[in-house]
Amino acid sequence: MSFTRMMEGNEAAAYGAMVSRADVVPAYPITPQTELISHIATLISEGKMKAEYIKVEGEHTAMAAACGASAAGARVFTATASQGMAYMEEALWMPPGMRLPIVMCMVNRAMAPLGGLRPDHNDALMQRDNGWIQLYCENSQEVLDTVIMAYKIAEDKDIYLPVAPCYDGYFVSATATVTTVPDQAEVDAFLPPYKHEMYSLLPWDYKRPARSANAAQSRYEVQTAHEKAKEVIEEVDKEFGKRFGRSYDGLLEEYACDDVDAVLMTMGSMTGTVRDKIDEMQAEGKRIGLIKLRGFRPFPSEELREMAKKYHAIAVVDRNNSYGSAGGGVVSMEAARALYTLDDRPLLLNFHVGLNGSDVTLRQVEYMADKTLEAVSKGKVDEVVDWVELHDLGEVL
Amino acid sequence: MASVVRAFRPVVEQEKCIKCGNCQTYCPEGTVLLKDGETVVFDYRYCKGCGVCANECPVDAIEMAREVGG
Amino acid sequence: MTEKVFDEYYEKSLMQGGTTCCPGCGGPLFWRMALQALGPKTVIYGDGPCAMCAIRSIKLPHFNLHFSFVADASSGMAAAYRAKGIEGLTLVSSAGDGATGDISFGKVSAAAERNENMLQICVDNEAYMNTGIQKSGLTPFGAWTTTTPLGKEAVKKEIPLIIAQHNVPYVATASVAYPRDLIAKIEKAKDIEGFKYIHTVMPCPTGWRFNPAKSVEVVRLGVETWTWPLYEIEGGVLKLNMKPKQKPIEDYLKTQNRFRHLTEDQIKYVQENINAKRERLLANDGKRVIL
Repeated sequence: MSFTRMMEGNEAAAYGAMVSRADVVPAYPITPQTELISHIATLISEGKMKAEYIKVEGEHTAMAAACGASAAGARVFTATASQGMAYMEEALWMPPGMRLPIVMCMVNRAMAPLGGLRPDHNDALMQRDNGWIQLYCENSQEVLDTVIMAYKIAEDKDIYLPVAPCYDGYFVSATATVTTVPDQAEVDAFLPPYKHEMYSLLPWDYKRPARSANAAQSRYEVQTAHEKAKEVIEEVDKEFGKRFGRSYDGLLEEYACDDVDAVLMTMGSMTGTVRDKIDEMQAEGKRIGLIKLRGFRPFPSEELREMAKKYHAIAVVDRNNSYGSAGGGVVSMEAARALYTLDDRPLLLNFHVGLNGSDVTLRQVEYMADKTLEAVSKGKVDEVVDWVELHDLGEVL
Repeated sequence: MASVVRAFRPVVEQEKCIKCGNCQTYCPEGTVLLKDGETVVFDYRYCKGCGVCANECPVDAIEMAREVGG
Repeated sequence: MTEKVFDEYYEKSLMQGGTTCCPGCGGPLFWRMALQALGPKTVIYGDGPCAMCAIRSIKLPHFNLHFSFVADASSGMAAAYRAKGIEGLTLVSSAGDGATGDISFGKVSAAAERNENMLQICVDNEAYMNTGIQKSGLTPFGAWTTTTPLGKEAVKKEIPLIIAQHNVPYVATASVAYPRDLIAKIEKAKDIEGFKYIHTVMPCPTGWRFNPAKSVEVVRLGVETWTWPLYEIEGGVLKLNMKPKQKPIEDYLKTQNRFRHLTEDQIKYVQENINAKRERLLANDGKRVIL
């Protein structure tokens, strides 16, 4: 029976793992993910979830155990954040290269030392090269739904890649919003049991993918899977929408973009704040819309290029930074590369905001929107990279 | 499969052999067998010529002869 | 004709002859003996040591990640088998001394604490041999390695005793020079539920610097000089499997060039340590040694 109530993101993720019938959960607590794994422990202890919960002694072990379990035939769920994610870095390269469809929630948290427990996206974005699929969620419902969809994507025979539903610590993980947990039978119909075609670790049925001597070839295959994943993510989202009545526009969502000159592009929980402010600003006559980037990996270059043809400017809002980079934050650099091949490129702005989980305020959103529209009217960008939090913008809201 | 290169190969004097099976027990590669409990045979396809069998033979029935190649 | 006999033997004994290990390596020798006890319903997890070259020749399902991943992926495998209701498998999780004692030490301790149902084996060749002979925490005092060219300053870490203190059901040491003892221990361990730990000495002609033909002889001397005592700790109680008449440690040290530079004083120091340890082992034989 499906049920609906107020639920924090961490609890929603736990329910996502439950209805997805995860078999093995190797996990180590770290703020702001901790409630997720204690919810899972509770669900198991109450008999609602049937899973082997390995209470490992560290994140490096959590991911290793995840690999062993996945190869040995179990559907695996785990989660981590920030320092924990960095501690398992070596292990994180294994699942994509070994084609193990693990689902791990990345509960975004800033990296030390210039960050505390609050959220920004550097932790997950650090994984951008190693082959993990990353889908950024805005609220508890999206987290739960994305966990279910993550398994369907990961276990697709053309994919076999690990998938990370990412969501902001505290703003999503510990904020309760109305969430529906779908009916188990409906999820079972949507998500068939896990059976990896390439792995079996049983004496009477043993197989593992052969190790290729050509590393470039093997890596190219993972790249090809990422290309295919763009399609699969859209299809799964549509199918989910048909069955459960909720869908998320795949990798990119345009919000209130009919007849605007420019867009802000956001990722994660700040999208909710920006939606509200966009509505307000459009009512004031400001011609600015919003693109929500849901899928960071695979990066939806083709789709972004199509959308970009309609706008004079795209302002990428980076809740992360990359010291010494070619120019600005991680998402803006990805966007710049995606847009580079357009004959008629829109202006590209980059704002750093919300670092170490400082609130993205309505005032800051207004500032970014005004700066973007200013660039449109001038036909050029004055400040390529703008660290919004270093400005005194007066009254907060 | 790469071919094995070795400097020495084990050769047994069957008459000296007391069929104790030490050579089979201690060969790291499994390339020495006391066939049917009677005859010591070597798998020269994979033997590396380490000499453990000769060293563990209590009656010195195995000699490590210079490998002549081929 | 002989070839067919051997091919059949390799199939039956679950291990292909001719590994890529060094001539005289204790690795394939250990596995060959272990497989006699383990049998075909076995899955192996492990990586890292050069004895890894031997694992590749084993005709059983095998999974591995990397050197620093000891006992962790195997914990996941054990959980997966439980979750899927697969029973009757022996899960062997193996690693070298560097992995077990140094970089993954915490993981082995954690797997012991969780009492994971696996047979954890440490193949101890007393250094990081696979990468060209660098010191590990289990390198004995005075041994030459490329990172301790004047001889290792610290003494060897006593892993079996540390693991036993985790209250696991079974801990043992083993040596390829005593195959009946080794095979009996593995046979016993595999029927026990929970975390079993067997620590085996792995003669390394390349790293210890001796003629490969002496491989078994050297580790036999290790037992006879009491530097490699063979014992079990079952349910916290120590049992010495062998109480050989003690040979002087010099007999052992002079067989390996890695100890060539040891001074008389250093040899005396090593001998005194061994004597003391032997006394303590004998005094505690048959007694509960775990607090």
